Amino acid sequence: MDWNLFTSTTIYASVLALLSLGITLIYMTTKVFNFAHPRLSLVAAYAAATLMAYYAQSTGAQPNLTPKSSFLGSLTVPFSWEFYVIGVIVAMAFGVIAALVEYYGILKPLQRRGADYLMLMIATLAYDFLLVATLFIYNTHVDVRKVLARIGVLSTKMSMTSYDVTIVTSGGAFISGSFIFSVILILLLGVSLYLLLFKTTLGVKMRASVENPPLAEVLGINVERVYAISWIISGLTAGLAGYLMLMAAGAGNLKPISATSPADEIVVSAFAGSIIGGVNSIFGSIAGGLLIGYIELYIPNWLAIWTGNAELFKYSKVISMLAVAITLLFAPEGLAGLLKGERWKKLFGRKEEEGVSEE
Amino acid sequence: MAEEEPIMRLENVNAGYEKLQTLFDVSLEIPRGKITVIVGPNGAGKSTLLKTLFGLTTVYSGKVIFEGKDITGLPPHERAKLGMAFIFQLNNIFANLTVIENLRLAGHDLPKDELEKRINEVFETFPRLRERMYQKAGTMSGGERQMLAMGIGMIRKPKLFLIDEPTAGLAPKIAKEVLANVKRLNEQGYTVVLVEQNVKAGLEIGHKGVLVVSGRIVFDGPAEQLLARKDLAKLYLGLAV
Ligand SMILES: Nc1ncnc2c1ncn2[C@@H]1O[C@H](COP(=O)(O)OP(=O)(O)O)[C@@H](O)[C@H]1O
Ligand SMILES: [Mg+2]
Repeated sequence: MDWNLFTSTTIYASVLALLSLGITLIYMTTKVFNFAHPRLSLVAAYAAATLMAYYAQSTGAQPNLTPKSSFLGSLTVPFSWEFYVIGVIVAMAFGVIAALVEYYGILKPLQRRGADYLMLMIATLAYDFLLVATLFIYNTHVDVRKVLARIGVLSTKMSMTSYDVTIVTSGGAFISGSFIFSVILILLLGVSLYLLLFKTTLGVKMRASVENPPLAEVLGINVERVYAISWIISGLTAGLAGYLMLMAAGAGNLKPISATSPADEIVVSAFAGSIIGGVNSIFGSIAGGLLIGYIELYIPNWLAIWTGNAELFKYSKVISMLAVAITLLFAPEGLAGLLKGERWKKLFGRKEEEGVSEE
Repeated sequence: MAEEEPIMRLENVNAGYEKLQTLFDVSLEIPRGKITVIVGPNGAGKSTLLKTLFGLTTVYSGKVIFEGKDITGLPPHERAKLGMAFIFQLNNIFANLTVIENLRLAGHDLPKDELEKRINEVFETFPRLRERMYQKAGTMSGGERQMLAMGIGMIRKPKLFLIDEPTAGLAPKIAKEVLANVKRLNEQGYTVVLVEQNVKAGLEIGHKGVLVVSGRIVFDGPAEQLLARKDLAKLYLGLAV
């Protein structure tokens, strides 16, 4: 097995899972296809990079790239742990801010004026352009550039890849902090979303508001607040994706960060993950995003080895588009639909079987 | 004499959907503690009448009175707070939630022990729901779903139940069960306004019968009297005699 391909694909797949989840969540609650979603991650990444750089500068720390030996192997931690924690927190905060500005600043006012779904969708594109322009302007802001440059970050293409935590095991395997972070993140995300949705009153309210908003309202549930919470979660996960984009540029199909990259390319894959997951399923979207990430890299890789033509790697997006086409043709409800199917139900002997309808 | 006072009253109401008027000069009293059954041909305005009671239509003129208070302009969620429960004809439960989740949700703003007490009351009225407690509501039969819809209403202890065609699309045997459940609800002390397409079965459980034709009230009186009026049945209801 190609270890490096596996770790870098896993990071990329996790980013897609985070993005697909955000897209699905917003579609389920507010019924908007948010084309600006991947750009929220870029806003988060820029903010994180800036504050991490300022933090490093204010403490006078220079990156320390000398490996230490630890029980895991040789461990390199270029900056203190706070540096990374700050990055994660700032990324999440700015992801949320960018999401709430979109919802309360643009989509809700339009909705109040009677905008339909199509208009809202186009408005998300407009917000996307607005964010691109803002990031371009920010990119050329001199002071920020100086600070970033001081810790070695290029201002036009931001990347903190060289400051990621790394482990080289005694066997010579290379493990990046981003890989460990992304694996833990996806596991935590799955578990905490499950607990939130199925074990808390808020989760029951969320599921109810998604399924039947008028009935929820009649029962006195604040559906509007539930929607706001879903935008917050969507912003949080976009922020985490942005942090990974910053720390792991180059992993899988992640490109170094600029005002347009990698959001322009990744938007296709993220929507593919959401559609393959079934558009209306939270856990489906996580699975769909992960699946797209892996097939986008592994299938071209196999094809390249098989044909001996490395050029095939360029066509990885074709794979995700094919996957979307196949899903829509043969399983329009996506992975979630497949799991709901009667065959599977029997296979897993699910509880619902007991209550077969009388009609 | 407080018992004689109707819980709700319509006074010369003209109502409809935005510009389309569908109810004409409707006056009606809903007696407390009774079942009022609204019947009439398809498209007559039965649902519109029920929705007007709950504030889901546009009232052009006339008055809507609840417990002596003029509530003509009051929005639905405010009426819910006053103690009115509207059971939609369709989508009246959360299909993806379990039965117990549906009931807990209905009483989400109640103190925990009070909520458990009321859920118990629902289970006592509809024991079937206790058996189905952890089942997804969407997998239950049509009759059980209507049971749950009423259970959801009961949790909030409303003073008035407005129920729109609970038997629509159900097999006759199950439809009968559903109406029996409406009757049971009334026996627990709840006031009910029921719109029912199955005229005979509906009027049989009702105390008061109201016949609506083309947006106007044509008969308003004891249910058994309406049931006995063969002339009306032939004219408007297509009921085989
Ligand atoms: N939401 C609505 N908007 C506009 N017109 C409606 C609406 N609902 C019903 N109508 C019209 O109002 C009239 C009465 O309908 P309704 O009250 O649903 O009849 P019923 O319940 O007696 O079958 C019909 O002509 C119907 O087309
Ligand atoms: Mg109707």
